[in-house]
This record gives sequence, C-alpha cells and structure tokens, in this order.
Amino acid sequence: MPRIKILRNLTLVALAIITVRLFAIQILEHDIWVAKASDQHTLLETITAGRGEIYMMDKGEPVAVVLNQTVYQIVIDPGFTDKDQIKSALEKYAKDYIVVNLDEVYSTEGLRYSIVAKNVPYSIATKIAAEGIDYVWLKEGNSRVYPEGEMASTILGFVNADGLGQYGVEGSLNHLLAGKDGTLKTVSDINNVALSIGSDNIKIPAEDGKDIVLTIDRGLESGVEEIMQDFLNNSSATNAAVLIMDPNTGEVLAMTALPNYDPADYGNVKDASAYLNQVTEVPYEPASIFKSFVYSAAINEGKMSADTTFYNKGYENIDGNTIKNAEQRLNNQYVDMKTALYWSFNTGSIHALKLLGDNDAEITAAAREKLYDYYANKFRLNQPTGIELIESEGFVWDPHAEIYGLNAAYANMTFGQNLSATMIETATAFSAVVNGGRYITPTIVKGTLEKNGTITPLENTEKIDEKILKESTSATMREMLINNRSWKVRGGVDRPGYAIGGKTGTAQVLVNGAYDSSMQNLVGSYIGFLGPSGELPQYVVMAKAWGEGQALQGTDVINLFDSISHFLISYEKIQPVL
Amino acid sequence: MRGQAPPGEATIMRKHKSDIVILFATLGLMALGLIVIYAIGPMRANVLNSTYGTDYAGNYFFIGQLRSVAISLVAFFLAFKVIPYKYVQKFAKPLIIIAILMSVALYVLALSGSSLAKCELGECRWFNLGIVSFQPAEFLKLALVIYLADFLTRKREENAIGKWKEFWLPLILVCGASLGLVVVAQGDLGTGVALISIIFCMLLIAGVPAKQYWIMLVIVIAVAIGSVVTSAHRMERINAWVDTITGAESSDQTYHIENSMLAIGTGGLTGVGIGNSVQATGYLPESINDSVFAIMGETFGFIGLFLVLSVFGVLLLRILKVASHTVATDERLVTVGIFGWTLAQVVVNIMAMTGLVPVTGITLPLLSYGGTSMVFLAYALGLVLQFSCYTSREEVKNVDISSRGRIRGSHYSSRRRNS
Repeated sequence: MPRIKILRNLTLVALAIITVRLFAIQILEHDIWVAKASDQHTLLETITAGRGEIYMMDKGEPVAVVLNQTVYQIVIDPGFTDKDQIKSALEKYAKDYIVVNLDEVYSTEGLRYSIVAKNVPYSIATKIAAEGIDYVWLKEGNSRVYPEGEMASTILGFVNADGLGQYGVEGSLNHLLAGKDGTLKTVSDINNVALSIGSDNIKIPAEDGKDIVLTIDRGLESGVEEIMQDFLNNSSATNAAVLIMDPNTGEVLAMTALPNYDPADYGNVKDASAYLNQVTEVPYEPASIFKSFVYSAAINEGKMSADTTFYNKGYENIDGNTIKNAEQRLNNQYVDMKTALYWSFNTGSIHALKLLGDNDAEITAAAREKLYDYYANKFRLNQPTGIELIESEGFVWDPHAEIYGLNAAYANMTFGQNLSATMIETATAFSAVVNGGRYITPTIVKGTLEKNGTITPLENTEKIDEKILKESTSATMREMLINNRSWKVRGGVDRPGYAIGGKTGTAQVLVNGAYDSSMQNLVGSYIGFLGPSGELPQYVVMAKAWGEGQALQGTDVINLFDSISHFLISYEKIQPVL
Repeated sequence: MRGQAPPGEATIMRKHKSDIVILFATLGLMALGLIVIYAIGPMRANVLNSTYGTDYAGNYFFIGQLRSVAISLVAFFLAFKVIPYKYVQKFAKPLIIIAILMSVALYVLALSGSSLAKCELGECRWFNLGIVSFQPAEFLKLALVIYLADFLTRKREENAIGKWKEFWLPLILVCGASLGLVVVAQGDLGTGVALISIIFCMLLIAGVPAKQYWIMLVIVIAVAIGSVVTSAHRMERINAWVDTITGAESSDQTYHIENSMLAIGTGGLTGVGIGNSVQATGYLPESINDSVFAIMGETFGFIGLFLVLSVFGVLLLRILKVASHTVATDERLVTVGIFGWTLAQVVVNIMAMTGLVPVTGITLPLLSYGGTSMVFLAYALGLVLQFSCYTSREEVKNVDISSRGRIRGSHYSSRRRNS
C-alpha cells in the first residue's frame, strides 16, 4: 500500500471516531448533558415574602405588637474563607449570633457553604462586611420584634429559625402571615448574572403576608396581666389564665396565661408547656361552673325554675358512690334551686339532671340523653369552638357509654367533673347562657389590615350564631348568677348600678387516675359576666388559677375576677345604671 | 504525456486551475470562525470585564478576529499567487535557524523577566510587540515543514535516507531542538504534538525504511510517556481526563473537559442557535480559542459539527490528494507536512473537546481566535493551493519509498530547462 494511503486511512479513522463520539454525546447523551447544564446554568432563587405583622386594638385603632426587622445570616465557604479572619471578625462583633462551631465546620470534608451566624442585626452585619474578608456572604432575612416584650406571648406565639410560625396566632395563622415566597428561575452566566437566553425563565414575585389585626385590646391585655401577676404574687397559685370576651359578638378582648415567655427568646423557656395556650389548648375540669349549664338545660326544657325545691340530704348515693356537697349546710331539708346554686350544692345540680329525665328519684337514660344533647350539641363543650387559634377539644360521656357507673359519671358531669373542656369552650357556652341564649363562635381576629388602614374580615370563616336557649332561660340564669354574688354586693365589692354575676368552680385533680380525696390538689376557676344593671352583659370573664400541689378554690379566684371586673369598669368606662 | 511520466524521469507540469475545494474550505472556515466569534466575543468580553475588571468593548474580539483574518488572507494569497515556492525553498535553512533563534530569544527574554515576553498562566509563548503579539512556535511549524522538505529531498537524492550520520543525526538535532524549545521552554504541548505529527508524516512519505520508522515511533512514544509521568502538571491532566471519561468526581482539573462536553452535549441535533450559547458566558474556559469547537457544538448541534468536521475532512483529503499528485518531491513533502500540521490540530483539538484525549491546549485551525496560528496556517494552505496548480492528473507513482533517488526538480526548473 502506498504510504500516502496510510495517512488517508488514518484521517478517515480519526474522523470516524470523532463522529461516533459526537453522535454519542450530542444525540444519545443529550438529555443527560441538558440536565447537567440546567443544574449548572439555572439560577434558582427564592424571593422571600415579607411576613405580616400582628396588631391589637387600642382605643379603636390597630397598633402593632409584632414587627419585622431585617437581619442577616453570615455564610462562608470553608474551602476558601480564611478561617482566622472570619473567626476573629465573628468573635469581635457577632459573638452572640454564632450558630456553629467553626472548628467543626472547617474540619468537615467537602463542606462548601455554611451558615455561621444568624439573626445578625444590620449594624453588626455592616461591621463584618467592612472587614472585607473574601468568600463571606450576608444573606438578608427577617426576624420578629416584640415591642411589648412578653405580653400576650400565649396568643402571639413565635417564629422559629426556619421562619415558620409556632403556637399562638403565629402558628394558627401562619398561612396568612407567611405570604407566598416568590421564585426567580433563570439561566445565568458564571457570575450568576441572569441572562435573557432560555425559554423557561420564570419570575414569580413574592406575595407578602397579611397584617393581622386581633380583637385583643392591648391596654386591657396588659392591664389584666398586671392584675394577674399581682394575684400570683399574693396567692399560692403559680399559674393563672384569664379570658375576657364580648358574649354578644364572640370577640375575645383579652386572653392570657402567666407565666409568659419572651417570644424573641423563645428557646429559653424552662418547660415546653409554656408555649401552650392554656385557654384554648388545655382541656380541664372546670367543676361547678358547669352547674350553670345543667341548670340552663333544665330550665330551658321547662323542667324547673329557680324556685323549684328538692330535698337536700347533703349527699347522694349513685352507683355505690357517695357524692357529697362541699358545703355541708341546709342538710335534710327542702332547698330551692337558686339557693342550691348559691351554695354550689352538688345535690342541686344532680337534681336538675334527674328533672331532665322527668324522674326526681333517679337518673334515667332520658335524663342523660337530654344533658348530653345540651352539653354536646347545644353548648358544644366537646368540640372546638372554631376560634382562629390552635385548639383542643373537651370530652363528655356518651349517654349510653358502656362504662361502670355511667350515672355517677353523669352526676359528676353536672358539676363539671369527669369531663373536660377548655376555657374557651366553657366561656363560649357561658356566653350563650347569659347573652339571651345565642351560641356564637368566638373570634380573636378582627381581620387583615389593608394598606389604606381599613380592616377586611377574614374570608372563609364560618361563624355559628345559633339560638340554643330561650331568652327567659337566659334571664333566669343571669338572675341566679347575680344572686350568687349577693354577698359581694352586700360586702361592697360589686358597686351598685352594675349587673355582675358569676359562678365558682373548684375541681379535684386526677392524681394517678383517681380524684385526690385529700383535697390538697385543686384547680380553682371562676366565670362571670359584667354589664350595666338591667342590660345584657357586655363582658364575660373567666379566670383559672392553679399550682402544683396547691389547693386552689374557686373562691380564691373570685378575688382575681373582682380585680379584673373593677379594672374593666374603669378601663372601658362602663357607666352604671342606677 | 502529462502525468504519464515513467518512473525516474522528471515530469513537466503545466500550470492549471487550483484546487477550488481547498480554496473554499479555507475561506469558508475563516468566515464561520468570524461568525462564531461575532456571537460569543461579547460574552467573553463581559466575563473578562466582570472577573478581572478589564474594559473590553463588546466587539473587541470580533475586531481582533477580523484583523487576523485580513492578515491571514494576505498571507494566504501571497503563498497561493504571489511568491513561487522555489524562492521560499532557497531560504529553508535560514528560516529554520531564525525560527529556532526566535524561540531561544523568547526563552531568554522570559527568563530575564523582560516585558517583551508575554506570558499567560506561567507559560511564556508570545513576543509582546505592543499592539500585537507574535507566537514564534507557529512560525517554527512552517519553518520546520519547509526545512524538512528540503532536507529530506536532498537526502533522497544523496541516497542517504536511513543513514545514521548523514540523515538521522542532523534530523534529530533540528527536530529535537524545535521540540525541546516548544514543549519544554514554552510548555506548549499542543504545538509539540503538531510538530511530531508534521515530522512523522513527512518522514513516512520521505521513504524512511519501515523498520527505522517503527523504532522511531517506539522511541517517541516512550519519551512522551516518560515526559508525562515525570511531570506532575502533565500527570494531572491525564488524571483529569481519566476522571472525566470514567465519570469520577468532578474537580477543578476535570472542569474544562466536563464543560466542553457539556456544551457539545447540550447542542443536541440542531444546536441552541447563534447567540444562545450559555457555556460561552464564562462556564467554558478558552471559549473563543481552544474550546471554540465545543461552543460550535452547543450552537450548531450535531448537524453543524458534522458539517464542520466534513469540511475539515474534505480539506485534509484534498491536501493529501495534492500531495499524491505533486510530482516534485520537496513540494510533495511540504504538502504532507502541512497535512500533518492541520490533521494534528484538528484531531487533537476536537478529541480533547470530546474527552477522547487529554486537553493539551491546541487551537482549531482557522476557527479559533488567535492571530499567529491562523496567519501561518493560512500561508501553509496557500502553498498547498499553489502546488495544486501543478498537479498531475494521475497519482504519482512511487510517491514514497520505492521512488528513491531519481525524481528531482520542480516544475519551475523543468520549465526553465525547457525555455
């Protein structure tokens, strides 16, 4: 073969190899390379939505109680960032914000990007930037500021490090507050400058979160917290919770539980239960407060009146259990229902239950069914109220539950034991008792604050407003509840011109599955209403106090209620009707 | 009797039309190169400006390429139409001496840190002549082709081919000096590969005995392997190449090959279209010069690359055809040298871009941005066109080994003898 042919063949072979190779890369492996190219070329950035702020009402105007401030994350590339430089800069300016162990970061093989400090305020971030260390980035973000400090932490909740609202309104309304992050997806050059090349460039702008206005009155809230703190300082209770609502609208005006925590430093609580909203998330046994409900049921059914009498033995034997009255007085005589409520006789509320079944001698299935109908279907004590907060639901026994001592359980249920309900469930039901008989879904959100200052009610919120009791039932109940406080009137605590009624509740606490008969562990509650004389009540106030190993009676909590009602009258300038 | 000359007799070739395929292939590739640089030059300028804070205008590289093409066309037509090769051939020895001295001078200047030596990434390959720079290695390729053709022709006449003292010793001295300067002093492995290709092609056609040719091949391969394994820098490139084709983890070393293959692969069948290259926006190193083939792959796709490859293939085969039809031995050898030169640049560049061989840093003829390489190759192709005007119709018999000794003399001398 002529040697020149060798060169020709060599050329053809080389070109053939290249052609095959090109075919493989461009046709067969095309999709793989396109995917790799997309990884390399696509700049995908999240446009962070601004989180909505939270307002309370103050003298009819919304005021911010949760604000945003711009903070920075400091990001380094351990492969390139000078360790000594960044270390000294961080320790000099941002010691409190360091979130990692730098030595660990630098000893982690292959680690490229590491967030070394978080929530760094602008003033400090600029100092770090001024150091001019190569391969250090500042990533802008938001953090929450709480101008009122710990106030109302129970209802506000907090925003965690990932920007997710937790507990309180921050948690329950996170979907509204968070807004929607936007996306920037674009082909970029090697310096991450967006290019106009490419057909699937996307820019979805961020939708900022809504500013939420609460129905909570800031002045009332802080005033109540002060009173509660004072109460805690002067009683054996370590914890207290208070709820104030307008029984006619369901609007919650104050809701708080002490001790509070600092939402800006939420990690620093002794016990995670501090995050729980004691008013909506913790069902308990509100005890004799519930007598109002069984009374309402029996009166509403026309089975009794305030003057109906029964023979009070001072105790009842049901299913082999002896249920005694706490107050051993007026025993073995006829007592009317009004008096029984005044002294909070358990025998009285059990009698009301019996009357519901048209049999004053025993608790019948019909009585249980009727009571269940009121507790579960009318007062909705075993279902969430629908307030815009995280809620737990209470529990009432089914009238045909296959348990031993169902009648005893039902007898207990008449004075608020052997069942559970949250404070918000209880107060909402109580509002219906005193407001003329309407069950109204409670609310804590007035609406979203628009740019022009108007407030738009939340969409898609179903509010129940249902007449469950007759006006007359409600009027009778108000009368009896006011009568409960006649000694307060006589003692000069309740000023003339105001209609103030209420009911105590002292619950034995379950210890190891049984009621602690030593009575050393009691939770005290009080619920009451308040308004000018002769008018529908304007406020329902519920208070609860407890402490581990402490015997707190409902009568102890009355003092807290009294202080709050005085404060309410002066704060809201409620005029007496004399 | 054109082309029918019996072996051993000088043949007179009358001038005829040049090889129009080579002409259009050359001009077409230059034009394509201009288009590509026009499209991606602004991206290159933008990357340099934002990375190094330079201030290149958007059309800076296009204008540079335009200037290179203009000078290259002048060189091309000088070789093609104006300067008969016989005049050039007379200067074969001075040219190679000048070329080698230039490389020596560059080395000395670089060592002395003179600003006349222009260095990039630690390799000093250019003379800095103010507004233009000049790469002596490109001149060395041409000078070596011309010198070897002259030398080999003389040795064939003297029947000295294959003899140690008369043939191998001077050959090794000249080639060794050239390769040493290019590969070691300038660190230019790409040009080294081109030089070796030139030398091997020319020796093959010059009729070096097969046994000696094989020995030479083995020695060169051994030296090449030796120079790779003893150099950390070259080993790194080999490892990067192995990592890439085995799909091992990416690293800074594999970045170049990966990104050239990514550009080519992204192109698919028809490419993303002119002006839509993303890899040219800074991802692919050397996008306008050594890696321009990859950008073309992204832009024009498989169809485009296949066409470009076909043009190169046709060009190479036509050059070989000119060689096989050229009667005068020295001209035939020059043509074969130019073939080896072009082949090496095309094949090594493209194979590097497609991951078939390690990246060596070699320009793609007529398409890559860069002045000196284009100017000298254009001159070389002009020479081939000049020779194509004097080819015989039939393939020359005994173009290599068996035609030892007798055929001598160019068409010029023949014609002169006739006149």
